[in-house]
Amino acid sequence: MGKRTIIPFGPQHPVLPEPIHLDLVIEDESVLEAIPSIGFIHRGLEKLVEKNEWPEMVYVIERVCGICSFGHGWGYCKSVEGNMGVEVPARAEYLRTIWHELGRMHSHLLWLGLLADGFGFESLFMHSWRIRETILNIFEETTGGRVIFSVCKVGGVRKDISNEKLNDIENTLRGIRAETTELTNVFLEDVSVRNRLVGVGALTKQDAIDLCAVGPVARGSGLVMDVRLDGHSAYPDLDFAPCIETDGDCYARCKVRIRELFQSMDLITQAVSKIPDGEIEVKVKGNPSGEFVARMEQPRGEAYYYSKGNGSKFLERMRVRTPTNANIPALVKTLQGCDLADVPMLVLTIDPCISCTER
Amino acid sequence: MANLKIGRMVMRSLFKKPATLMYPVIPREYKERTRGHIAVDMNECILCGICMKKCPTDAITVSRDARTWSIQRMRCIQCSCCVDVCPKKCLVNENAYTIPDVIKIADTFEKPDEPSAAGETSLKCDDTCVFCGICVKKCPAEAITVDRSAKKWEVDNEKCTRCSLCVESCPKKSLSIE
Repeated sequence: MGKRTIIPFGPQHPVLPEPIHLDLVIEDESVLEAIPSIGFIHRGLEKLVEKNEWPEMVYVIERVCGICSFGHGWGYCKSVEGNMGVEVPARAEYLRTIWHELGRMHSHLLWLGLLADGFGFESLFMHSWRIRETILNIFEETTGGRVIFSVCKVGGVRKDISNEKLNDIENTLRGIRAETTELTNVFLEDVSVRNRLVGVGALTKQDAIDLCAVGPVARGSGLVMDVRLDGHSAYPDLDFAPCIETDGDCYARCKVRIRELFQSMDLITQAVSKIPDGEIEVKVKGNPSGEFVARMEQPRGEAYYYSKGNGSKFLERMRVRTPTNANIPALVKTLQGCDLADVPMLVLTIDPCISCTER
Repeated sequence: MANLKIGRMVMRSLFKKPATLMYPVIPREYKERTRGHIAVDMNECILCGICMKKCPTDAITVSRDARTWSIQRMRCIQCSCCVDVCPKKCLVNENAYTIPDVIKIADTFEKPDEPSAAGETSLKCDDTCVFCGICVKKCPAEAITVDRSAKKWEVDNEKCTRCSLCVESCPKKSLSIE
């Protein structure tokens, strides 16, 4: 038996864009145990419901995360709309779906770049982000922002996209499809990439269930779990099936995200062909006075939004539970017994967003 | 094969023009909807302060005494909330960014006309009023009080900003600013 050592990993680490700290108990080169700690960037955004009126709070909530910001704004609006019994117009629901799926594409392309950077494949990282730039340009043209959109509001959306523009978006996505296929094939087929990912950090389906894993981590372990299947918004009108892989290793999680990238393209194409004309918002009267929980399928997994109103302009409580928070137990489990050199890959493949987690 | 594929991508990139711009030598082209910075038309602004109240980051300060409207650019998140709530539509989110600052400073704009203009006018209610109280709900300055049982309508002219939101919302068109 070798000597046990504790190696601190993070909160500042070359592979980590965000501050999570892990105390890795290692013996020789193997990790025996990982003790996570977070709390480096808590901003107290939920507390701001006491200071900001509920219509303005959406601009704060969408700043919970810089990557899945549209989903956060939508989740908040959905919870307040549910609270007040607001029926959102169909066109607004379709526009929200299109922006959300574009957000998933840009999040997954960002993650692919970070993964490539994590295992030292710099050119692959650059090409992933080059393709992602196309999505960011679409965002800027349609919403005015590249990562924070401020288009979602309680009762609908603030900006419309013309049908011609929607067709342009579809054509742009068709244009980058071949390039994206070429890029993702490198992730799936390159020997050096496969050596870093295949068989590393396997999470069994039972562990995924027991540890309440969500999103691509759960789907990579064979768990059929996708909030979009619950049929909210425009999703009931769109034809799709969740992307499931059964191996549970880093490669499976990577493959799930790559398949979801193309699935989002298909969903946007379907949504553009089916989007109805009409209003993009309804006037909301009164103040929220009940409790409501909304769920969203964010790029990283299932997120919860709880709102409690008391009939005033200020919500009594707002709570967000983000997917990374749910995936940390699964990460700790997969870290047990892995090689020290594989720790960055394992941390990256849950796609950690600590800003979301700490809010 | 895969190595060849990334090789092809890399080779193509070698002979293509760069994906990035030589900023700032080549200036950035803003989109029509780009949320760059908040601009104010001080000739139209009535210093009502609704933008200050609704701003989620407290970036805007409106002083009726000093007759100024100021914004802290570093605090502003370009959400356009102030643009939406402005009753006079004198705020606009322009699509160019401001020049980056190294210190946190506030841009202050002064209202050009004389302060007496607001003081000379006041909110009036004629006898067609049905005391419905919609004006009370609409008033951002909480300057109006309505007592339905006593059939009494009152305005605090010190608090009233003459934003005319009550005038626009009155179902009986009983209100006017004279």
